[in-house]
Amino acid sequence: MFKLNFKIALRNIWKNKTSSLINISGLAIGLAACLMLLLYVSYEWNFDKQSKDDANTYQVMMNHRGVDGQITETGQSTSNVIAPLFKQKYSWVKTSARLSWAAPYLVSANHIGFKKTGAFADPGILDIFNYTFIYGDERTALNAPNSVIITESTARLFFGTTDVLNKSIRFQNALDLKITGVIRDLPANMSRSFDYLMPWSFYESRFDWAKKPNWQNYSFTTLLKIDPQTNVDQINSSIKDLYLQNGLKLKVEPYLFRYSKLHLYGNFVNGISTGGSITQLRLFMGLAIGILLIACINFMNMATAKSEKRAKEVGIKKTIGATRSSLISQFLMESLVLTLLAAVFAVVLIEMCLPFFNHLLGIELGINYSGASIWLGLLAVVLVTGLIAGSYPAFYLSSFNPVQIFRKRSQSKGILSVSLRQVLVVGQFSFAVILIIATTVIYQQIQFIKNRPVGYQINNLVEMEQDGELYAKFELLRSKLLESGAVSSVLQSSTTITRELSSIARCAWPGSSEDDKLRNFNTIATTYGFVKTTGIKLLYGRDFSPKFASDTNGILISHSAMKVMNMKNPIGQVVFHDGDKAVIVGVFEDFILGSPFSTEKPLIIHFNKEWSGIVTMRLNPGHPAAENIAAIEKIVKQINPAYPVNVTFVDELYAKKLTEQRRLGILSNLFGGLAIFISCLGLFGLASYSAEQRTKEIGVRKVLGASVSSLMRLLSFSFLKMVGIAIIISIPVANYIMSNWLKSFEFHTSVNWVVILLAAAGTIGIALFTVSFQAYKAAKANPVEALKYE
Amino acid sequence: MIKIENLEKVYKTEEIETTALNGINMHVKTGEFVSIMGPSGCGKSTLLNVMGLLDKPESGSYKFLETELLTMNDKQRSNFRKQNMGFVFQNFNLIDELTVFENIELPLIYNKVPATERKRLVNEIIERMNIVNRSGHFPQQLSGGQQQRVAVARALVTKPKLVLADEPTGNLDSSHGNEVMELLCELNEQGTTIVMVTHSSHDASFSNRIINLKDGHVISEKINKSRTEELI
Repeated sequence: MFKLNFKIALRNIWKNKTSSLINISGLAIGLAACLMLLLYVSYEWNFDKQSKDDANTYQVMMNHRGVDGQITETGQSTSNVIAPLFKQKYSWVKTSARLSWAAPYLVSANHIGFKKTGAFADPGILDIFNYTFIYGDERTALNAPNSVIITESTARLFFGTTDVLNKSIRFQNALDLKITGVIRDLPANMSRSFDYLMPWSFYESRFDWAKKPNWQNYSFTTLLKIDPQTNVDQINSSIKDLYLQNGLKLKVEPYLFRYSKLHLYGNFVNGISTGGSITQLRLFMGLAIGILLIACINFMNMATAKSEKRAKEVGIKKTIGATRSSLISQFLMESLVLTLLAAVFAVVLIEMCLPFFNHLLGIELGINYSGASIWLGLLAVVLVTGLIAGSYPAFYLSSFNPVQIFRKRSQSKGILSVSLRQVLVVGQFSFAVILIIATTVIYQQIQFIKNRPVGYQINNLVEMEQDGELYAKFELLRSKLLESGAVSSVLQSSTTITRELSSIARCAWPGSSEDDKLRNFNTIATTYGFVKTTGIKLLYGRDFSPKFASDTNGILISHSAMKVMNMKNPIGQVVFHDGDKAVIVGVFEDFILGSPFSTEKPLIIHFNKEWSGIVTMRLNPGHPAAENIAAIEKIVKQINPAYPVNVTFVDELYAKKLTEQRRLGILSNLFGGLAIFISCLGLFGLASYSAEQRTKEIGVRKVLGASVSSLMRLLSFSFLKMVGIAIIISIPVANYIMSNWLKSFEFHTSVNWVVILLAAAGTIGIALFTVSFQAYKAAKANPVEALKYE
Repeated sequence: MIKIENLEKVYKTEEIETTALNGINMHVKTGEFVSIMGPSGCGKSTLLNVMGLLDKPESGSYKFLETELLTMNDKQRSNFRKQNMGFVFQNFNLIDELTVFENIELPLIYNKVPATERKRLVNEIIERMNIVNRSGHFPQQLSGGQQQRVAVARALVTKPKLVLADEPTGNLDSSHGNEVMELLCELNEQGTTIVMVTHSSHDASFSNRIINLKDGHVISEKINKSRTEELI
């Protein structure tokens, strides 16, 4: 019986090539899209779950209370005293470790140097994270101060092999570190990633500010592995007043947060996690299921549309003794065979599309064919899809009564089946139209943010890191660069102007209160030429200038900072800033330093020769950019030969701020397009069956004088009606969803009705094109052929 | 073998009620070949469907070898049908996706006959029906006469006590029609009871007895002497 049903299934697929193709390709695309999204979801879901004991790995977070006692900021960084203190003081801490943010440093070996990402950590980190050691001892690898653990590919890069234990690499062209461990490359979904890991003791020996215990420098990550028996809520209430207990009158409160949850639930409002990328993940899950459902609906529609053909088979089988359950299992089998075929194509499709998909999203997804979970997942998806797609046809077709089938065929079309089919098509298209509208709104929002004035001249602006000799020889660099004509101005600053990296509190100004000391100001340290190089707009006063000796004590403030300080005549006012008196020499219009999606925070730019790290240059517009870059690279290499030169365009850095939204846009675009495509595939199939069923009617009408166009209208109308209803349903839904989405942005566009109308017209157009192809074929057919049939 | 009393069947649609069978009384003896004739709409196909347990009458009694069938539930009817009856249709009703062999094998599968036994039975009947060289073909590849022979083979492979034929020659030309009728006669001579619905008096002449229906009544019954004498 099984064999025979299997045979019937295969022969049916082969016999009805068009519908099988539509079914299989629709299902394959749906499955591929769904599996791809699920891969992405599992990638995100497993983010940062590589700890040895994930359930008990916690990160110490800091709630900072602001002016009115509210928690204004929840920070992931702590001071360097927390980790050792906790380990010493609390018995529930099993392991504690400090971890620095990874940053690019120059490392060299075998006379080649690269800037590779390095991090510093306490040895305890090896007990918290599960690094796979190829060489070296996991327990001791970070014990000696001048040791280093490197990843497999870093080892290959420098030595061509991974067997490099006890060899050494040179750090920042200054000191040799002995390789005490080689580990497997870290997975892409690990946020604390690095190319090499150095001991904390080395960090302290290199940087005084890392060594000096400082309760107020929140720059380091503290990770803990805690006793599984402990109650985290109790702990959190007991450590809340840690700062006060240690005699520090600061409004900061440490607390523990599950490390692996930070990635998906990393948004905090008033100290409480309010979600984060989990929202996006849920959205993608919905998309995956939606696309698959659309493909399943196609299958159901095709199967029930074919019911007249299958009715005869059902009738015969029932007459000669088939039970209903045997027929149900036969039809389910058919849909499972089809789904399985589709799954094979889907895997091929995924393999073809993954590189493209990875490139689009900037992630690293892959199918691990040796893992059991991927096969189980695939099997589960195939089973569920096959059963969902096959269930309705199976129950519907197997319910036919043989006598009715044999007596006259026309009765087999029940009112319910037709309307259910219509409901399914309407559902399909509603989903597709919602996706299309969502896509355009997301695209518009991205454009809206993109078109927000940046506040500085972003074109022709480049930056590079200030490495090695470039600190001491900055003046030489500046004069040589200007001399070459490649750049029109140069500046050094503490941070890039494309990110909010430093902020400062405890400022005071004329009329400021004690509470105002809690206010945070973004801050950038720089020397001469900031306004000229970046092109920010001065509102009052002037740029720093070597002509005024007092400018070494000067600050420039943003317009919003001026408003915070409540100043009428800011120029010449004295502000206590970073423990020093500073004089305001200029006020500039706010520019986008951090996220372009939110209002600019008040910013203070202060003069400081000692604090620098980035060189920003305005290219000479008279020469081609490539020539300018080449000239810059040549000069930098001369002055600072030990380091590789890496000049970046500021507009590229700026564009990265829109990455997440762009990704969302691409995904909804891609899957919206797919949804429309699969829906149209189904519509094409339905139209062809309807045309086939109505062959006789069309023949009769033609003999009686109907024109081709009137027949096409007749055939297309019923389908367009369904698409029309779908559009009417989906527009308010899409409008509601997208208006809410837009509201989550501080700066946002509104849902544009022209776009919605265009989306609706586009959908109708595509549907019309799909249906009319079949309608035309049927209407053009020779009526004699049609009437001879039967 | 069959005893039918006061059989009534009414078809209802929203507007009209059609009485298809209006108090039918008839019987069929074991080994008989009975034809049912009558104009279109007289209820002959309905009667055949009721006899084949495909349709349920409103009232009356239908005894098959002393067993009352009308009180059975769907499952019992289905079981009884597949064990005791074979069907031959006007439009053959072969499954297009299955080969000749597989079509004939299908009822045996539903009767849970083991595979080796099935193979033997199907081959035996294929030989008897003279369609050996067609067993791997699909129905569309055969002529109408050959298709009907396959259909007859399928009806007989389970060795049913009763074969019900609904205008078996209706879609065939006269020479193929005669072939099928001769086949049915042969089967009947070998002991199978046959009830056949037909329009054609030529076909009816092959049977032992002819029952005429009109408006759901039996209006006359005629014994075909030449055939009946042969039977005796």
